[in-house]
Parts: sequence; C-alpha cells; structure tokens
Amino acid sequence: MPLVEIHGLTKEYHKGDQKIVPLRDASLAIDKGDFVSLMGASGSGKSTLLNLIAGIDRPTSGTIHVAGTDIASLTRTQLAHWRARNVGYIFQLYNLIPVLTAYENIELPLLLLPLARAERQKRVEIALAAVGLTDRADHYPRQLSGGQEQRVGIARAIVGDPAVVVADEPTGDLDAETSEQILHLLQRLNAELGTTLLMVTHDPKSASIARRQLRLDKGVLLEPEPPKVALAARGA
Amino acid sequence: MWKFLPYIAKNLWRNRTRSALTISGAAVAMFVFTFVGSVQEGLANLNRGSQTERSLIVFQANRFCPSTSRLPEEHARILAKMPGIEEAVPIKVFMNNCRASLDLVVFHGMPAEKLRKVRDLNLVSGDWSTYEKQRDAAMVGQALARRRSLAIGDRFSIGELTVTVAGIFTAANAADESFIYTHLEFLQRMRGMKNSVGTVTQIEILLAEGTDAKAMCRSIDEKFRTGAIQTDTRPKGVFQARAVGDLVDLIGFAHYLGYACVALVLTLVGTTTLMAVQDRVREHAVLQTLGFSWQRIFGLVLVESLTVSLTGGVVGTGLALAILSWKGLAVGSEGVTIAFSTSPLLAVIGLAATSIVGLAAGIVPAWTAARAEIVESLRSI
Repeated sequence: MPLVEIHGLTKEYHKGDQKIVPLRDASLAIDKGDFVSLMGASGSGKSTLLNLIAGIDRPTSGTIHVAGTDIASLTRTQLAHWRARNVGYIFQLYNLIPVLTAYENIELPLLLLPLARAERQKRVEIALAAVGLTDRADHYPRQLSGGQEQRVGIARAIVGDPAVVVADEPTGDLDAETSEQILHLLQRLNAELGTTLLMVTHDPKSASIARRQLRLDKGVLLEPEPPKVALAARGA
Repeated sequence: MWKFLPYIAKNLWRNRTRSALTISGAAVAMFVFTFVGSVQEGLANLNRGSQTERSLIVFQANRFCPSTSRLPEEHARILAKMPGIEEAVPIKVFMNNCRASLDLVVFHGMPAEKLRKVRDLNLVSGDWSTYEKQRDAAMVGQALARRRSLAIGDRFSIGELTVTVAGIFTAANAADESFIYTHLEFLQRMRGMKNSVGTVTQIEILLAEGTDAKAMCRSIDEKFRTGAIQTDTRPKGVFQARAVGDLVDLIGFAHYLGYACVALVLTLVGTTTLMAVQDRVREHAVLQTLGFSWQRIFGLVLVESLTVSLTGGVVGTGLALAILSWKGLAVGSEGVTIAFSTSPLLAVIGLAATSIVGLAAGIVPAWTAARAEIVESLRSI
C-alpha cells in the first residue's frame, strides 16, 4: 500500500471575482522510502500539492491518504497533531526560529511528542550528526551560513522520524555548490535512512537526483502514476 | 507549556527594549494602583478594632479643629461616674497642622496609667518605666518614628513642644502608629498653651459591654447642655469619619485612578503583545507547520502577555509596598490619621489584577496568531 495516496485532488480559491484553480484532479501514489521530485514552472501548482500532502492546506475536492490517514477529514487540531507525528517540512527560506540555537530549533518538533528529555537529546544529536553540524549546535541562525541553516532545517524535518518529508525548493536560496551539497544530503538521507521524500523544484538538475520525477503544468499532473492497484483495492 | 518557557523568554528578550518599556509602564501603573489601594485599605482599617465600636469621643460643641476644642478636665471625672462608662480618658491633642497633610504629627497627652489601659500598644523598643518617670517622655508610633528617623533617647520638637523618645510602639490599628503619646500635664503646661491647665481637647469614653452607644452620646450631651461649655459626643468611628470627611471624598474618588491604572496596563500590554504577534506572523505559521496546534500557539502568546504584565505587577506592587513599609506614610486631617496600609492582601490584589489584565490583553493577539492561515502566513514577509 502506498504511503501517500491522492485521488482526484482539486484546489480552488477565489481572488475577487476570479476563480483560480492551482491544482486540478490530481492523482498520485508515493511508496514508502521513495524519493519523488515535482517539477513545474512558477504557478504550476507544485507547492499547492506539496502543502496539501503536508496537511497545511485543504483541498476543495478529492482525497489524501498519508500513512493510512485520510487527512482531508481531520479537524484543524487533529491535523496539527498529525503533522507533528507524520510530516517533516523543509522550507526554501529555512524558516529557523531566530531566537533559538540550532540545537533548540531541531528539538522544537520533539517538544510536541511524548518524549523524555534524554530521548530528545539523543535524537537531536543524531540529527545534527546526520547533517554534519554537531559542532554548530549552540549557534544561532544568524551565526550560520545559508547552507548550514538549511542543514539545520533538514535536521529539524527528520528528527521526529516522520512518515514523509516534504521539501519546498530546498535549494532555491542557495548557490550552486551549496545546493549540490544539500541535494546530496537529501539523497543520502533517503538512501541510508529510508526517508520518504517529496521535493518541489523548478530546476531539472535538482529534480534529476530523485528516483521518480513528476511534472505539473497549470495545475495538471502530467506524468502521474495512478495508483491503480491501491485504488482498486479500496474500491475506488 | 513548561517546555516552551525558554522560547517565550527568548522572544521577550529578542525585543528587550520594547519589553522593558512595557514592563516599566505596567510597573509605574501598578505602583500608583497599589498606593491608591493602600490608602483605601487604610481608610477601611480606621474604624476597625473592637475598641472603636465601644468608644465615644466627647468634643466641645461647634468646634472642629482639635486646637479649638477646650473641655474642662473635670468633665472626665464626672463622666467616669456615669453608669455604662468603663473609662473616661481626658486627652489633650497638639499637632503641627490642622488641615489635610501627608506628614501630620499628632501628640496625644493623657494620664500614663490610662494610656496602657485604653490603647493596645506593643512596645518594640524603650520601656514603660522610663516613660512613666520622665516628665517630657513620649511614646512614638513606629510609622512616625520611621518617617522622622527617631530613635530612643532622641529629642523631637514641633513648634515650642519638645519631647524625649522613651519608647517606640506598634499598634493593632496602624493609624495609631502615627501618633505620639505623652503626659497630659506636660502637654497642658507646654509653652505657648495659654491657660491650658485643667482643660483638655477631648474625652475618650470606653463603654461597658452592652451599653447603647447612641443613647450614651445623647445622655452625655444632655448632661452638659446647660453648662458653660456644651459637648458634642459621637461614636469614635463617626467622629473620625467626620474629621477626615474631605479626605474620604478624595480617597473615594481616587479609586477611579486605580481603574485607570489597570486600563493603562491593559492597553500597554495588549499593544506590545499585538506588535510582537504581527512581527512573527511567519514564525507562528512555521510553528503550526511543525505541528503546533492553534490552541498551543494561543497559549504561547497568552503566556507571553501574562509574563510581561505580571513582571510589571511584581515590580510596581513590590516597590510600592516596600516604600510604604519603609516610609510609614499616613495622611491626616483634624488630628485623625489614615495610615497607608501595607497588608499582604494588597500584594495579592495587585498580582491578581496584573494576571487578569495580562491574560485579557493577550486574548486578541493570541487569537490573531492562532487562527491565521498557515500557507498565507508563510508567504508573509
């Protein structure tokens, strides 16, 4: 059974009198341990799809099952608790909390889980080691380079061992060399830790490191891989 | 929520100038609030105490300021024989100012043996025997001693009256701590008190249990109605209320000042918290993305608001109570003083008020932060 399974997903919103449809009837299945890139031009709906899978936005119609949960049916509070357990989010602009150290930023999502202090410490240290920033644990975001900040962002996303990690243009604000390092890190996390990754990018080179590459154009998933078997099993 | 306290503290520290200014503003407002509460509580305390209910004050009729009331001392001996009267204490009152004052010094001259009988005084330094033996000796209330920096053996003068401090006392009624007790005869014979021997300002009556105070007032005034000097007798509480009547109106009005202080704290803390929330729209969206529920975001902002308000409350209330305790301030008029109270209840009221205000001030900003749409907020700069 796929880890992420979406079917007939549509997102609409209104801007004045104008109806905007950033995502139209999208269906997709992502298996556990997969590394999927989602390409498309600006406004193609790729970030919308990512946000829907991450549970920070709601679809107009269609279903989203992630790790066995129909997240479109959850209340706002249930969705927040679900995100804390199941989603790691890597932002383009890192979005670290400026008043917290690298260690504290990484520990933040763990504070929402029922974990003892020692367990939290162990997990943060592992995450810091995984992104190669053990020696920067006490540094504040302003004391880190862009690449280091993004590594902290990645560590924060993986520290809770979520079902799926989503990355929205994770190299969009980095130079070429640092971008390559970050992409290599994501590839390594997928390969070594089995992290399921969905990465949005507009850069074909970045997209090419993923095992599966999907493309969105004007809200339509062009190379969908419809989860026929899974959907049939559900009677869809 | 405890796990997030470092995050809240660091956020307050992030905008430390703004936080410090808000805390200072709240502290100043709570300082004034506590002062107002202190004098109001002092007024309420004035008529408390078992003896006040059983005490009457006999004053010369149609006189107001103690310096104009002159009753024959003999009246006290006549009154002492009346049924229903346990004690009749002749008192000569001398003071530095008959009008409303923040530094009223009131001397009560009364027979030494009566002082210990009718006043519930607790000697904190000095001794009674020195007081009883020495002609110019004085027992000084602790609040006044603090205010005027007096110690045992010090000589203290007001106008032409000079006394030697023989003892410093505390009293069950804080207002008594602004008095100086001295010998009646010494006060009657002081320089400047012309023809004062044999006269007193007032007579304090201590009623026997079960005596009707109002009926006794009428009986006393009736007794002296045909004499050369008529009397005006009232229960001690009524007498004190009349003496400080103008102050009572002022103090009553001051409670609006107290409300204004609370409103000021509400506005200050509310504005600061709202600004802090507006500065962190994206940050709160990031926290929600990580899995913080809207209730948790609401709680974080509320605790932040509460922390600012409560810190201001602790500083302001604490400072006000410390100064009031140290200075022993009292406001008085016509020989009656209202001591600024420094009871723990004031601290509790101050902290409760700032807690409630802190929570109330945080509600709108907290709701704004908690209910913001995540995706839209992540796009904000």
